[in-house]
Amino acid sequence: MIAGAATRPYREGRIGIAVGTTMLVAMLAAGLLVPLLSAYHPNELIAIPFQSPSWEFLFGTDQLGRDVFTRVFAAVYRDLGVAFLGVSIPLVIGTAVGILLSIAHNRILVALIASLIDAINALPLLVLAIALIALFGPGLQSIVLVLAMTNWARYARIARTRATLVNQQAYIEAARLLGYPRSRILLRHFVPNVSSETVAYALSDFILVIMLIAGLSFLSLGAAPPTAEWGVMMSEGRPFVQNAWWMTIFPGLALCWAGIALSFIAEGLSRRERGPGG
Amino acid sequence: MEAVTTPERTEAPPARREFLRRAAHRLARAAGVAFWVMVIAFGLIRLAPGDPVLARLGAEAAPAAIEKMRRDLRLDVDPVTQFAEYSWGLLHGRLGTSIETQRDVMEIIMTSLPVTLWIIAITIIMAMAMAVPLALAVAMTRRAAVPYIFRASTSVLLAIPAFFTALIALIVFGLHYGVAPIIGYEPGFPANLRYLWLPALVICTHLVPVLSRVLHSSIVETMGEEFVETGVIRGVSRPRFYWFYLLKPSLAPTIVLLSYMVGVMIGSTVIIETIFSLPGIGRSLVGAVIGRDYPLVQGIVLVFGILVVAVSLIGDVLANWLDPRVDMS
Repeated sequence: MIAGAATRPYREGRIGIAVGTTMLVAMLAAGLLVPLLSAYHPNELIAIPFQSPSWEFLFGTDQLGRDVFTRVFAAVYRDLGVAFLGVSIPLVIGTAVGILLSIAHNRILVALIASLIDAINALPLLVLAIALIALFGPGLQSIVLVLAMTNWARYARIARTRATLVNQQAYIEAARLLGYPRSRILLRHFVPNVSSETVAYALSDFILVIMLIAGLSFLSLGAAPPTAEWGVMMSEGRPFVQNAWWMTIFPGLALCWAGIALSFIAEGLSRRERGPGG
Repeated sequence: MEAVTTPERTEAPPARREFLRRAAHRLARAAGVAFWVMVIAFGLIRLAPGDPVLARLGAEAAPAAIEKMRRDLRLDVDPVTQFAEYSWGLLHGRLGTSIETQRDVMEIIMTSLPVTLWIIAITIIMAMAMAVPLALAVAMTRRAAVPYIFRASTSVLLAIPAFFTALIALIVFGLHYGVAPIIGYEPGFPANLRYLWLPALVICTHLVPVLSRVLHSSIVETMGEEFVETGVIRGVSRPRFYWFYLLKPSLAPTIVLLSYMVGVMIGSTVIIETIFSLPGIGRSLVGAVIGRDYPLVQGIVLVFGILVVAVSLIGDVLANWLDPRVDMS
C-alpha cells in the first residue's frame, strides 16, 4: 500500500517525461527532415493559392500559393531556437544576479537592485516586452534582446531566495572554514545548488516564451512576413480564416504540440522531484 | 456564555493591530514598487538606441519638425529636469499628449481602461464559478484516476496559447454558430456582456486550470486537518461543511494566486482585445507601439504597472485576513 503510493507519482512522472520527449524529438526531427526532403521551398510560390489540404499539399496552400506543410516545419528551429535564446540568456543573468545579491554586502546597492527586480516583475512580461519593442523596432532579435532585459528579473528572484537558503547551509560554512577561495565556493557550491531551481523554472518558462514569441509575431511586433514563423503564419491566415482555415490552424497546432510536449516534460520532472504526495 | 466570549474579546485588539501593522508594511512596499514602475515607464524612451524622434519621423524629416517633436517630448532638457516635470505632471494627473492623435493620454486611457477592467472582472467571476466546483469535485472523488486526468488535462490546456484558442472560438462561436459577435462593442453593463463572454471564456481556458490546481491541492491539504474530521463526526450540514470546513481554510493561496494572475491576464488581454477587436487599453497599446506613440506607450505601461501593484496588494491583504497564517510578503 505504502510502496504503491510512493511509486505512483514517480511512474506518472516518467510517463509524462517519455511522452513529452517523444513529442519533442519527433517535432525536431520533422523540423530537420521536412524542409530538406520537401519538394517545395518554404517561401516559393509553387501552386494555386488557397488550395485545401490534399495529398499533394498536406496542409493546403496559403494566399500566395506557398506550401503550408513545408512552412510549418521550416519554422520549428526558428521558433524553438529563438525561444531557447530567450530563456537561456535570462537564466544565466538572473541566476548570477540572484546569487550575487544574496552574498553582497553593500546594502544600498542590494536594496536598489531588489526593488528594480520587484518593479520589473510587477509589470506583465508581455506588456513590458511590447513597450520595449516600440523602442527597438519589431523583429526576432529585438525579442531576444527584450527578453534578456526583462525576464532575468524572474530568475533573479528565484535564485536569490534559493541562494539565501544555500548560504545558511552547513557545507557553505564548512567550505569557508576550510579556507576555500570565494570563487570556488561560488562556482562549486552556490551555482549548482541554485541553478537546479532556476533551470526547473526555465523549463516551464520555455513554454511561456514560445507563446510570447509567436504572440508578438502574431501582433506584427516580432518576425515579419515572409518569414516562416508560426505567429506570422497565423496572422497571415487570420483574414482568410473563414474559407482557408488550414492557414491558421496548422501553425497553431504546431505551436500547441511544442507547448504540450514541453509541459509534459516539465510536469513529469517536477512530479519526480517532489516525490510521493507532492 | 459570558465565559466563552470574554477571552476572545480581550484577544481581538492585538490581532487586529498586528494585521494593520502588516498591512501598513505591505502598503509601504507596494508604494516603493509603484515608484520604480514609474521610473521604468519614464525611462523607456531614454533607453531607445539612437534617436527615438528620428525613428518616428524618418531620417528625411524636416529639421524644424524634428526640433518641434524633441521639444514636445521634452527630450531637449536633461533627464533630471525631465523626470521632475514628469512626476509633477503625474501628481496632477497629466500623462502627456498622444503624438498620433494629439489627444490627451489620460483621456485615451480613461475611455479604454473600463473595457479591459470589465473583461477581467467577468473572467474572474466565470473562472471562480468553474474552478471552485471543479477543485472540490476532484478533491472529493474516490476514483484514483480522476486526479491524474485532471492534472494531465490542465497541463494540456495551459500549453495551448490563448490567441490560438481565441481564433478557434471566433471560428466556432462567431462564424459557424453565430452566437457571438465577431466585431464591435457596446459600453454599459448588461449590453457589454454580449461582446465579452467569449473573450472571457477564452482567458478562462488558462485561468481555470491554474486556479483549480492550486485550490485542489490546498483542499487536499485541508482535508488532512483534524477539524475536518471533527466536522464529519459532528455531522454538520453539507453546505456548511463545504464552506466553513473545506473552502474557507483553503481559499487563501488561491486568492494570492488570483491577484498575481490578474497581472498575467492584463498581458493576455492585449492579444485577446486585438483578436476580438475590443476597444480596450491593450489594443491601444499595440496601436501605440506600431505607431511609435511614445507618450501613449509610457502612460499605458504606467497604468498597467500601478494596476498590477494595487491588485497584488489587495490580494495579499485579503488572503491574510482570510487566513492569518499567510505571510503578507
